[in-house]
Amino acid sequence: MSSLCRARRETDFARFPDSAPIVIDNGASTFRIGWAGEAEPRVSFRNIVQRPRHRSSGETVTVVGDTDPALMKYFDCTRTSIRSAFDDDVVYQFEYMEYILDYAFDRLGATSEVGHPILMTECECNPSFSRARMSELLFETYGVPSVAFGIDDVFSYKYNQKLGNCGEDGLAISCEFGTCHVVPFLKGQPVLGACCRTNVGGSHITDFLRQLLSLKYPYHVANFTWEKAEELKKEHCYIAADYMSELQIFKNNKEEAEEKTRYWQLPWVPPPRDEPPSEEELARKAAYKEKAGQRLRDMAAAKRSQKIADLEEKLSGLEDLMDHLDGADESQTTSILGRSGYLSQQEIKSDILKATQSLRKAKGESNGNEENADASGADKYPLVSVPDDMLTPEQLKEKKKQILLKTTTEGKLRAKQRRAEEAALREKQEEERRTENPELYFDELRARYLELSEKVDQRKRQKVNGNNNSSGAVGRGERLNAAQKERMRLLTTAAFDRGKGEDTFGMRDEDWLVYKKMSKENEEDDDGKDDDESELARIASKIQEVDPTFVNKHDAVEPAPDPHKVRPLTADDFKIAIGIERFRCPEVLFQPGMIGVDQAGIDEMVSISLRRLLEDESVKERLCQSILVTGGSSLFPGMIPRLESGIRQFRPYLAPLKLVRAADPILDAWRGAAAFAASSNFGKQTFTLADYREHGESLFHRHNIVYTL
Amino acid sequence: MESEVVRAEMLLAPTMAFKKVQTADKYPKGQSRGRQWKHLRHLLQAADATSLPPDRPNYLNIQSPPSIYPPKRYCDVTGFEAPYMDPRTKLRYADPEVFRQIRMLPEEYVQRYLAVRNAAVVLR
Repeated sequence: MSSLCRARRETDFARFPDSAPIVIDNGASTFRIGWAGEAEPRVSFRNIVQRPRHRSSGETVTVVGDTDPALMKYFDCTRTSIRSAFDDDVVYQFEYMEYILDYAFDRLGATSEVGHPILMTECECNPSFSRARMSELLFETYGVPSVAFGIDDVFSYKYNQKLGNCGEDGLAISCEFGTCHVVPFLKGQPVLGACCRTNVGGSHITDFLRQLLSLKYPYHVANFTWEKAEELKKEHCYIAADYMSELQIFKNNKEEAEEKTRYWQLPWVPPPRDEPPSEEELARKAAYKEKAGQRLRDMAAAKRSQKIADLEEKLSGLEDLMDHLDGADESQTTSILGRSGYLSQQEIKSDILKATQSLRKAKGESNGNEENADASGADKYPLVSVPDDMLTPEQLKEKKKQILLKTTTEGKLRAKQRRAEEAALREKQEEERRTENPELYFDELRARYLELSEKVDQRKRQKVNGNNNSSGAVGRGERLNAAQKERMRLLTTAAFDRGKGEDTFGMRDEDWLVYKKMSKENEEDDDGKDDDESELARIASKIQEVDPTFVNKHDAVEPAPDPHKVRPLTADDFKIAIGIERFRCPEVLFQPGMIGVDQAGIDEMVSISLRRLLEDESVKERLCQSILVTGGSSLFPGMIPRLESGIRQFRPYLAPLKLVRAADPILDAWRGAAAFAASSNFGKQTFTLADYREHGESLFHRHNIVYTL
Repeated sequence: MESEVVRAEMLLAPTMAFKKVQTADKYPKGQSRGRQWKHLRHLLQAADATSLPPDRPNYLNIQSPPSIYPPKRYCDVTGFEAPYMDPRTKLRYADPEVFRQIRMLPEEYVQRYLAVRNAAVVLR
């Protein structure tokens, strides 16, 4: 809710004396500003800037913090994105920082000047250039009299120390927006040399969740905005007490996993159901179809009659020509032929024959093809029956060719006839066997069917390798089938000499057979397969004759179900399940390797920090009895128990350990800073513009406030 | 400007009375703004690494070292423990079912899954 309503402008700015410090908690996610000594910050907003274009006027405007999405319709955000001044936890973009400070001071009610000292929070060991640019900005642009920087986690710890949650010596574990820190405290002061930072924080968890969901539901990517992911994270994510066993639950125990899964139903409107077409509609469609069919039929008939007319005309012309030629003498013949474009009477005759044939075809008469073929048998091979001595050498050659052709065609015909006879004979024998002993015959058929189908299946399996999964994807890494393997073997061996001595390849004729084997298509194989398949089909049909319930599995298998069939979408398709993600995402705090960050997780960071602290074991033991957990990302349920078991692994057996969650992990840093700024010591710890001009950058190396509360 | 927008006070005024230098003066219009900032990585390289004594704590040396434990491997798709890795896509997977699934993934998605754990192929 707070994200939607904009902060109201404070009105009591003038009431505060010039010495009253302004306290700013400049967090990477949220900016909080208020007055020293007060319990709550006056204004807090998301630490972001957008610079969209106003649609109607075209000018670029600046919007700081979260906005009402309903109002964003007036702005064109396509060319800009949400910007933050932060990289991890360091301010590096001071142009954006200026917009943010503008907005913050404006909301706080500043009118003519910002004449108050400022305490601003920063991260541990903030680089000095960031401090320098920030103080320049505050001094030069806003005319601030003096500035102090302090670490947010330390303020949070000190505030909780004042509340009695933790001791003088202790540890602060802080899970923030961009990073996680562990800071040890000795005698109430942070030991910066021993603190440590991992660059994983709440923003990474949100990003991870968003990525996972948009990969899981690619159709709904538009719904997974950053804001929504953040909301889902805050509402549903938790930290598993033991990550591995929680994974096992989700893997093996469906009921418990189902119980832990949350669903998010996206708005979904069922698509309009298509009504079955009415009687009238059907009749109308049928009539239309009939009409179109009739038109096509008419067109075809017209074309046919046209063709017939053409052919008849041509035929009569040719017959006239022939009549002329018959009645003409030698000299007239050549002139007539020259005029008509034909070379000889023979040609005209063949043309007439062709025309009559096609005419017959066009008229749809059965053109006694059989007799024609028989009759033309003599025409086809005219030279065969002529004695050799009557022919020229060319004609002799032609004759040889014709003889060859004739014998082969006759041979083919004979073979065909023989096959048909054989088949008929077999059929007859089978019929006899069937009538003799139907049971035995049927069993035999079945056995033969099984044998053949086994053979065909095996061949199929060989062709489509067993390794080849149902997806049909064959890639680089896939194995070859047996035949392909054999071929590869032959190819590779052929590349090398078998013996070291002389090359004897080709001495024997069998050597050449290797090329046949290498050739890609083994035709023989394919033929055999076709034979087998046709035989199989024949037997199957026979069995079906006897036993109508028999189902030929090779027929049944053929029409594979279409995998890409479009299924109408249902409400379930718009349901987002958030199961394993609930604890998988926050787990990155403990295992940053999950998102590719090669650093230790927060439980291990404690041991690293203690190792860096060059102190006795007794001191470390004391620190471990006062561990404060703070920062917005520590709010996940299950955080404290998990951290405790994690830290225990790095501590000696039975070493005392006490973890406390901060009173308010989000606001304590600001509250601590406000209390610090209200103390009498604060004035001594600030620096002014004059100090900065005198000492320059080295001031920021030295600037470390003493935290007292 | 629409009245709704004005009422919501969502826009930042171009000039603020309390400022000594206005944004418009600092970044004059028309003058090419360019990129006035550098990435944190470059700033750190330029500043602290050279000028600071190494024994003093600074932003870089307070970073945590890598974990002493070998990183656990999780399935990129389901999140379960992943004993296997697909040599072609380099994705980790938990069981044969996931394997079938990742073999059907288009290359773009493979890269996105890899990018989640910062292992995608980056062409520069």
